[in-house]
Amino acid sequence: MEMLKSTIIQLGQGFGYTFGIFFFTVVFSIPLGLLVARGRMSKLLVVSAIFRVYISILRGTPLMLQLLLVYFGPYYIFGVNLGSIQIGPFNYRFIATIIAFSLNYAAYFAEIFRGGIQSMAKGQYEAATVLGFSKMQTYFKIILPQVVKRVLPSVSNEIITLVKDTSLAQVLSVAEMFTNAKAAAAAQVSVVPFIVVGAFYYIMNLTVETILNRVEKSMSYYS
Amino acid sequence: MSDTNNDIVLEMKGIHKSFGKLEVLKGINMDVMRGEVVAVIGPSGGGKSTLLRCATTLETVEKGKIVIGGDVLCDDVNGRAVYCDKKLEKEIRSKFGLVFQNFNLFPHFSVRRNITEALIHVHKKSKEEANAICDELLSKMDLVAKADSYPCNLSGGQQQRVSIARALATNPEIIFFDEPTSALDPELTKGVLKVIKELAKEKMTMVIVTHEMSFARDVADKIVFMDGGVIVEEGPAYDLVTNPQQERTKAFLAGY
Repeated sequence: MEMLKSTIIQLGQGFGYTFGIFFFTVVFSIPLGLLVARGRMSKLLVVSAIFRVYISILRGTPLMLQLLLVYFGPYYIFGVNLGSIQIGPFNYRFIATIIAFSLNYAAYFAEIFRGGIQSMAKGQYEAATVLGFSKMQTYFKIILPQVVKRVLPSVSNEIITLVKDTSLAQVLSVAEMFTNAKAAAAAQVSVVPFIVVGAFYYIMNLTVETILNRVEKSMSYYS
Repeated sequence: MSDTNNDIVLEMKGIHKSFGKLEVLKGINMDVMRGEVVAVIGPSGGGKSTLLRCATTLETVEKGKIVIGGDVLCDDVNGRAVYCDKKLEKEIRSKFGLVFQNFNLFPHFSVRRNITEALIHVHKKSKEEANAICDELLSKMDLVAKADSYPCNLSGGQQQRVSIARALATNPEIIFFDEPTSALDPELTKGVLKVIKELAKEKMTMVIVTHEMSFARDVADKIVFMDGGVIVEEGPAYDLVTNPQQERTKAFLAGY
């Protein structure tokens, strides 16, 4: 019982990092994904080719590898030592994790957004145009809100995957839940920490799922 | 017949438009006077909708001149259409309204917001002013009870009347209708045609692409028959329908 309690406390301490990775990745990767989607849809062939390659590579290689590259790359490739960087409470380990996660998830989100944007009927743009809306107004008032509704189920999928993917940050020894669970399991010679960490992830995803379902419901007033 | 004054709201001269190698408009001339109702009829693929789309800035023409409400949208310079700047184009857009075949209402906006959004954010009217305009139009369209509904909860006929209200809201000088009843069943068509008839009585300037021959005959001042990218025949509505001169027109009308 004492062991279980200390395990829960230990994992609870890791939860802060897990949630941090999750939160910042969502905050950064969604706008970035929108930009990448736009770049991918650019009429300039060079621009769209660049973003096509970006998406292809980020989706086609392991996130774990990308984490390692973002963290070690600057030093091994350019000889730049970023290890001492500290932004508020966040060290470079954590920052590198956020960068790698955001770049990776942006690639997935970009393709989801592109699908949503391209599924919009031409008539919506035309109606907005003849009513005098500017390109920006058309995008933000007419197109984007409808795209959000259309892509939400796919975006929810990604967000739920992200909750579990945060455990990959262990390769950079970020003290998130999974790293702690592994340490606890080794120290206690027990699988209990793994079961507890599983419960943590599941409860976190249950919460995420509930919130996303509410958001989806709030947009169900039209079809 | 048309008004006797010489106030031209829409002037299209020598309009040429191609999609790739396919020439869709082969030199169209059309003038619409203030208060005049012009019906454009003809077989599918004859260029009617394309003509409307060119007049409403949704397509650009290769050759020709388009003047709307006194502003030159494009002019013919050495056999090539040269368009005005974006600022004037935007101004020109506020001079006409367009009603689409499939409505193109904004599904995420209520009926009210569909009508007021452009008033508030393009025409910089206050919310109160926009709402007042909206209420007046909705009562005209017999849709007062639907102000807070969403398009998905309306019948096709109601949706089309909302889209007419949306087009009227900015007080345009001319309204274009692109087959406004083609997506509706006969029952719903009636309600929409009734609204257009009332607008005609109020001397609203309108160009209507339609397959409703009897409606065109009764409501339009002038009918333009288009086929193969040219105007085959045009004239006073009643005369053209009852006594067409061209063989092609006769053949087309015989189908109705």
